[in-house]
Parts: sequence; C-alpha cells; structure tokens
Amino acid sequence: MSGFTRAFADADPDDVDWLGGKGSGLVRMTRQGLRVPPGYVVGTGACRAYLTSGTLPDGLLDEVHTRLAALEAQAGKTFGGGPLPLLLSVRSGAPISMPGMMDTILNLGLDRGAAVALAEATGDSRFVADVVARFHTMYAETVLDALDPGAGVDALVAAVDPGEDPGAVYDRVWAACEETLLDETVPADPREQLAGAIEAVFRSWNTRRARTYREFHGIPHDLGTAVVVQSMVFGNLSDDSGSGVVFTRDPVTGEPGLFGEYLAHSQGEDVVAGTRTPDAVADALAPGLLAELRGTAADLERAQGDVLDIEFTVERSTLYLLQVRSAKRTPEAAVRIAADMITEGLTTSAAALRGVSAEQVRQVQRPGFDDADVEAARSAGRLLTSGIGACPGQVSGILVLDPDRAGERAAEGADVVLARTVTSPADLHGMIAAQGIVTATGGSTSHAAVVARALGTTCVVGAGALHVDEAARTLSVDGRTLREGDEVSLDGSTGELFAGRFAVSTPAAATGALGALLGVAADAAGAEVLARVTLPSDVAVAREAGATGLVTAVDDVLVATGHLDGLVAHLLADGGRPAALDGVADLVEREFAPILAAAGDVEIGVRAIDLVADEARELLQQTAVTTRHPELTVPLGRPALLEAQLRGLARATVNAGGGSRVHLAVRHVSDPAEAAALRELGRDTGVGVGAYLTGPRAAFAAKEIATAGDVLWVEVRTLQAAVFGIPARHLLTAEPLDDYVRRGLLSCDPRVALDPAVEDLLVRVAAAQGGGCRIGMRLSGRVSEQMAAQLHGLGFRRFAVDVGEVRPLLLALGKAALQ
Amino acid sequence: MSALVTDKTDYDVLNVVALKKMATQQVVAAASGVGEADVGPVLARLAEQGLVVMAAGSAFPTDSAEPALADAAARLYVAVRADPGIGELVGRFELVNSQFLTTMSAWQQIDVGGRKVANDHSDSEYDDKIIGRLDKLVARLGPLLDALAGHDARFGTYPARFTAAATAVDQGRHEFVSSPTLDSVHNIWFEFHEDLLRTLGRARTE
Repeated sequence: MSGFTRAFADADPDDVDWLGGKGSGLVRMTRQGLRVPPGYVVGTGACRAYLTSGTLPDGLLDEVHTRLAALEAQAGKTFGGGPLPLLLSVRSGAPISMPGMMDTILNLGLDRGAAVALAEATGDSRFVADVVARFHTMYAETVLDALDPGAGVDALVAAVDPGEDPGAVYDRVWAACEETLLDETVPADPREQLAGAIEAVFRSWNTRRARTYREFHGIPHDLGTAVVVQSMVFGNLSDDSGSGVVFTRDPVTGEPGLFGEYLAHSQGEDVVAGTRTPDAVADALAPGLLAELRGTAADLERAQGDVLDIEFTVERSTLYLLQVRSAKRTPEAAVRIAADMITEGLTTSAAALRGVSAEQVRQVQRPGFDDADVEAARSAGRLLTSGIGACPGQVSGILVLDPDRAGERAAEGADVVLARTVTSPADLHGMIAAQGIVTATGGSTSHAAVVARALGTTCVVGAGALHVDEAARTLSVDGRTLREGDEVSLDGSTGELFAGRFAVSTPAAATGALGALLGVAADAAGAEVLARVTLPSDVAVAREAGATGLVTAVDDVLVATGHLDGLVAHLLADGGRPAALDGVADLVEREFAPILAAAGDVEIGVRAIDLVADEARELLQQTAVTTRHPELTVPLGRPALLEAQLRGLARATVNAGGGSRVHLAVRHVSDPAEAAALRELGRDTGVGVGAYLTGPRAAFAAKEIATAGDVLWVEVRTLQAAVFGIPARHLLTAEPLDDYVRRGLLSCDPRVALDPAVEDLLVRVAAAQGGGCRIGMRLSGRVSEQMAAQLHGLGFRRFAVDVGEVRPLLLALGKAALQ
Repeated sequence: MSALVTDKTDYDVLNVVALKKMATQQVVAAASGVGEADVGPVLARLAEQGLVVMAAGSAFPTDSAEPALADAAARLYVAVRADPGIGELVGRFELVNSQFLTTMSAWQQIDVGGRKVANDHSDSEYDDKIIGRLDKLVARLGPLLDALAGHDARFGTYPARFTAAATAVDQGRHEFVSSPTLDSVHNIWFEFHEDLLRTLGRARTE
C-alpha cells in the first residue's frame, strides 16, 4: 500500500496531524481495547495531494478498496450485498476542529442488493425505506449541496408496510429521492458513493466558512483534513440488539452511578426522534452487557478523570462503543462531580477544579426562593398560572405590561417582571430592563425565549391563561385580575407565575458540595478573601460564602442607613471649625456599631468618604460640596474629616464590644508624605489606617506608602482605567468596550486581563509585601478568572470582592495555585 | 384616523424604525436600502405626520406607526399577497422557521439528561455543527427572499445582512449568532419574519 490509509488498530493515536482529531480519538479507543466498530482513516496527506492536483491521488482508491475487504472480513458483512450488508459512516476529521467541514454521512453502501439484504436481516422494509431515504438526503445535502427533499419523501416512507417486498420499496423510495434533485444524481453504486464522499470531505476543506475560520484563527491552509471511514453496527437486527446512551454519572444532579437509556431492537435515531420511549439502562440491558458497560464506564472515567457520555449499540449481544465524550452537565452536577471525584481519588484537585468554571459557581449560588415558601404559596392559592420555563431563575418584582414603562420603572430601581401577550424585537429595551419576562403565547423557541436566554433573564413563555389588557393595564388569569405595579414572582424552571413576592436566599447546593470543593480551592490558594458588606445582615452571608474578612465604606453605609442628607448637610455646613464635623463622627459611631458587632473579631476594612468617586457624583452633591470646599477633592485636604471618621469608628468599636479589628483606608493616596500624615492622624485612635491606590504614581511609591500604613489596597479596575485613560465605570459594562475590543483596537481587554503595563506597576506593589503592612487587591464587578490567576501569579494573596464574587474568586485562585 | 403613508420610501423608512423601535439614520439606510442622504428628510416628514419622534439622533416610532404601516401594506402589497408562488414559498418558510428556532435554542441551551442548561460554548464541535445548520437554514430563505425582492427591492437587503453576520460568526465573533443588541443572525431573521408578516397582513403566532 502507498500509505494513504491506516486501520484504527494499526495507527498511533498521537499522530493527530495525520489522523485528525476524530480519527485519533477512535484509534486511541481501539488501542485501549475498547470495542468500537472497526474502520480506518484516510490521512491528511491524501487530502493535501488532492488539494494540489484537484483529483484523488493515484492508488488511493485501490487502497480504500483493500481496506474495505479487510473490514468486510472483520465484520462478517458484505459491502453492497448480503446476507448482512456492510454499511459505512464517512466523516471529516481535521487536526483542528473548525466549522464548514463536511457533516457525517451515515448508511453509505446501500444499493438495491444491500437494501434487500438489510430488509431480510431486520424483517422490516419500512426501516430500510427510512435508511435509504436518510442516506439519500444526507448524501445529496453534504456531497451535492442539494436542499432537503421536503415532506413528500417522508410521507412515502411512512406509508411503507414493514412486510412489503423490499426490492419494490427500494426502487420506489430511491426514485422518489432522485426526483427531488434537479440535475444531479446520487450514485447507486456503493463504491462510487464512497469515492464521492471521500472527495467531498477533501473539498469541504476549502469552503468559504472553513477558510474564513482558518484565516481568523491563524490556522495554515495546507494542513488538510483526514477522512474517517467506519463500519456501522445495527441495533435493530434482533431482540438481543439495541442502542442507547449512558452517562457515567447523573448529568443533572451529579449523583454517582451509571445513568442513561436503552432501547432494544432500535437504531440510535429512534431514541433521538422520540418515536419510542427508551428504558432506564439498568432495567433494560441484559445483566452480562450491563456489567460490561459498567466496567467499561468505570475504566474510562478513571482513565480520563472526567464524567463521560457514552453512545453505544448492541448488535446481537455484542457491545460496541460509538462515541465517548466529556459529558455535558448542569452547574450543580459539575460542582458535585468535581467534589466527589476528589473524595474518590479519581482525579487530582487541580483537574477537578479545572472542571468547574466561575460562571457555574455563580449559577449554583444564585439566590432562589425557599422551597417551603413556594409550597405555602401554592397552598394559599398564590399560584396564578403555569407556562413553559424558557430560561431558569427565580425572581420577584412588580408587574409591568409595556416595554417602555418596564424601562422607566427599572431605571427608578424597581425589579420588573414584564408580561406580554407576545414579544417582538420592538420590545427589546423592555426585556433588557426586566428581571423576568412572561408571555401568554409561544413555545420554548419563541422570540421571548431566545432573547431571554441571550440576556440570561428569567423567562416563562406560553402561559396561555394570561390575558393582557394593555389599555386597562391589567393582567387577568382565570377570573383574577392584577394591576400593573402589583408584585409577582416568576420561576423560569417550573414555569410558574405567583402573585406576591418571595424572599430569596442562597440555595442549599451552594453550601454542600460547593463548600467542600471551595475548601479545597481555598487551601490551595492560601489567600485571604474579604467581602464587601454594607448592612449588618450582609456579614453572615459573606462569612457563609467563605470570606475571611470584610470591607465596607463610610459613604455606602451612611447611604444605606438613610443618612445621606445628614452627611451632605454636615459637609456643606462645615465652616472650617473642627467641631462642625462632630456630626459626621456621630453618624459613623451610630451606624458602624451594629456592623462592627456583627463582624466580631473578623477583620473589617472601612474606606473613608470619597468625594470625587464616580459613584458619589450625584449622591453626595459632589459639585456643590467641592465648589465650596475644593480641599475635599484631595485625599488629605481636610484632615478634620478623616479625624471625624476615625473618632466615630473608635467609638463604634467600643460600643460594639471592643473586639473589632478595624482600619480606615483613604482613596487616591499617591505620595509617601500623604501616608505619613495619615499615620499621624491614626495614632492612638485604636483604628488602623491605610491607603487605596488608584493610579500609577501611587503604584510607583507603593513601598514607601506601605511603610507608613497598616493596610494597602490596590483598586485594580481604577488603576487599569487610569493606565488606559478610560473612565473606570466603562470597565463594568458591556459597551463601549465590547465593540472596541471586537474591532481589534485594544490588544488587552481591561475587564478580563491585566495589561502588561499594569502588571509592571503591580510588580512594584508586590515587592512591597513582607513588611508589616497588609497588601491586598480590591476587585470590583465580576471577577475574571484570568485576572485572578495573573494576580496570584504576581504573588498577591489578599483580595477584596463583592459578596457574590467570593466563591468564584476562591475557585479561580485555587485553580491558579494548582496550575 | 391614523396618518396615511402613501409614499413607498416613507413606508420603507417607517418600516425599519418600527422593526427596530429605535434607529439612527445609518441603521435605517442600511436596513431599508434608502440612501443615507435621503433618510433625514423622510424622517422629518414622518415626524411631522406624528409617525416617528426624533430624540438623541435616533428615530422612535409612535403608537400611530403600526396601524399606518398595516394600512399601507394592505395597499402596497396586493400583488405580493396574491402571488401563488410566494404563497407556496411562505408555506415552506413556516417549516424552515420552526427549524431555525429550534436550532437557535440548541445554540443557547444544551439538553443534559432532559434538562436544559445554558450552552457555555466550551464544545467547539457542538457549536460548529449548529453554526453549520444555521448557515443552511439561512440559505433556504434564498428563494423566498429572491421572490419577494422581485416585488420589492427592500427584501434584497436581507441577504447582505445575513452574509455580514455569518462572516462575523466565522471569524469567531459568536455573539453575532443570537445577540439581541447586534445585527445578529437571529435579529435579522426576526426582523425579516416581522417584515414578512406585515407585508402579508398576517399576525405572529409566537
């Protein structure tokens, strides 16, 4: 042989460049002793030869036919004949997966003789009619680029009697299929079919889509693709044949044990098409086969250290594995599986953590309704109606019936549930503003469902009992009428709509398996993670999430406790007399005592009032205050204000029982002299002091600033924004940066990664570690796994984040530590 | 009595504004096929009639826009509505449309043991398969778009928009599959569907 092809059993699975990805996978399985239907790979070399010359290289077809003879012998079947016909699947398989490549062709090798033999072997002429039609359509679509044949052929196939003469059935179906083609034809000769399919795979290497993809991803155009030719097995030959799909663990809950379905006397398509209901694999599979499948599943899981999805067929009591892939799973299952696999010793902690993403952690900890509350609401008749759950989530909000008003109410800060008869693109602004969407019409593929899922917004569709009266602004359902503005609650999984509001809390799953997994991550990371809190009740939530400490801010706490006006009044009234700021000290004392009491002996960092913060612009009447007192725009411009806050905190500490570990940190400090002055203000107050670094100048002076403080925080987002010259608030939103990055105008997305220029600055900050000053990174918004890993790599082990990001950060740091 | 739209250019511009609910002149020009320089005066005329309002450089439809469009479509598209060739293609579109919606759902959600889970796009083979299917489905709109373009050139703008979105997707910008805020495949498809329904005087079923 001239070496264009290799049998699965003879190839080296590591030669991916030659075998392609799919071929390599099948070779590996074969070499591991797993029973996959035999086959061979036409290597990428043949494709390259084809691309150069435009014709199949000399000798390729001879080699293909020799391989075919070997397959026939191995399978005990005949290509293009009986008693048992050998049918093939032909697939493309490039070394790197890419779009635009040819789809799989199944059931290749059907001529009249093979069709008749197959009908005799299965005793089912309708099955054969179906296979013939399916093959013809696939071949026509993938090789000839024809459009699908329409409903006519389907009806013809459905009308075939299983006992009909198979020859006549073949003739009729084939002729009808050919009829749908315009001026082309699907070859009736199996060998021609095979040659045509192989050539079509080669051709697909140069489809527009494949070329665009390669150009964009810098993949060379001369790699070529391999072709995988594999014999097919039949699950519908006999009662001891069948097909099924199993997961090595339950992909919904993560519970250990084989989970899946099996349908005797069937081909895989029957299970997918839902024409017959499959049985649980443990009940339906013969004991010997079940034991074999269990053993294989366990071996594979151990070898790959992952939960797998195994597609299999039993042909006359012999088990064949068709495909083994990493199993798709719910976020809950991903977490449980990772935790279990560590406990079972099936995988390293590093591999287990890699199997879970920060986003999955966010979903698992997403607050939801309490089951008991929901049950009580059902008994109390608060369930209004049920539709189809289109995007999961549990939300409460006020009912709004119009997208414009949904936008307005949301802008005022309300959680909105938008109810519509039907949605269209014109409703988009309202859908974006809403926390939940419910429609009276539509299925799980309707506009509302598609858009809601794209937005990640909780959504229920097809709640047919709802009647929206836009003019009266009412929603009626089974004789009950709600008005716009009434509170409702929506469950995007169950599809239920309730009257009234539910409290939301962290689900149990977030504390069980996730707790165990994050324990592993936290041990590996060896980092302190402080969580941002504002109210005393936040403290328990933060601690439960795994926070080792807390951060808060004077302005945030005073705003949340309703003292904003008082604060502004004190700031405006201050005529330069120290006593004028006593009011501020009193407010701090009063409002921080409860939060310090809740914190107990857990470290709590407090950020001092910042009058130039983006966030404070409107709240604190920035312009009015800073026009009268321009000195308030520099960190230590008005020492009395800092003293007042220190005084208030010191008194709050005493009121809280005296055990607090509290410090006050000031934003925008950039000079060692500022740090030294701050040190003096803090002396003998019992409250630690420190700085929040926000700019490059501060980073340059980090070492000297650290020497004078108890703590030092770097606001990573603000620092990145300063270096990029982009307003910091833009680093928290999709636009304008999504578009900007898309246009290739920024080599680094500052929301996702640390810029090299910022990394340089942070190296200086990292070098300041090791003294008495605790140096940490303040991250705001969603934690980026990549950025967390970069910071960990720079040697930082202290972080502060929003409460909801504690768990995602712990995961990211654990992964980084175990890399 | 709703305002009357008699001019075809007015119709095309108002149609785009109603489909998008908020559109700049550039967007209107690209999606309507009306020259960018002509869009401004048309919008001004429509604003005078109370059919759109202009704010912050964008046009927004008023409540009178939809009824005015429905009236105008009934007059403008008598021939389209009576064309049996289009009737047949539209019948076939219903099937393609439902396949499209199913494929779009498969892009967003993966079936896991009978439960739908958000597609985290970690399986490029799965994604590529769906993108391939979407490509084919868009190709299947071709005959209907061509037939409609034979009656009204406006429908000739859709293929170019689909191609632009598909190219972006092939370049790895996967948000051009279903993002509701971009000129994504889903958005274009949906606007086309709305446009088609209005042209034919039919109501959306879901």
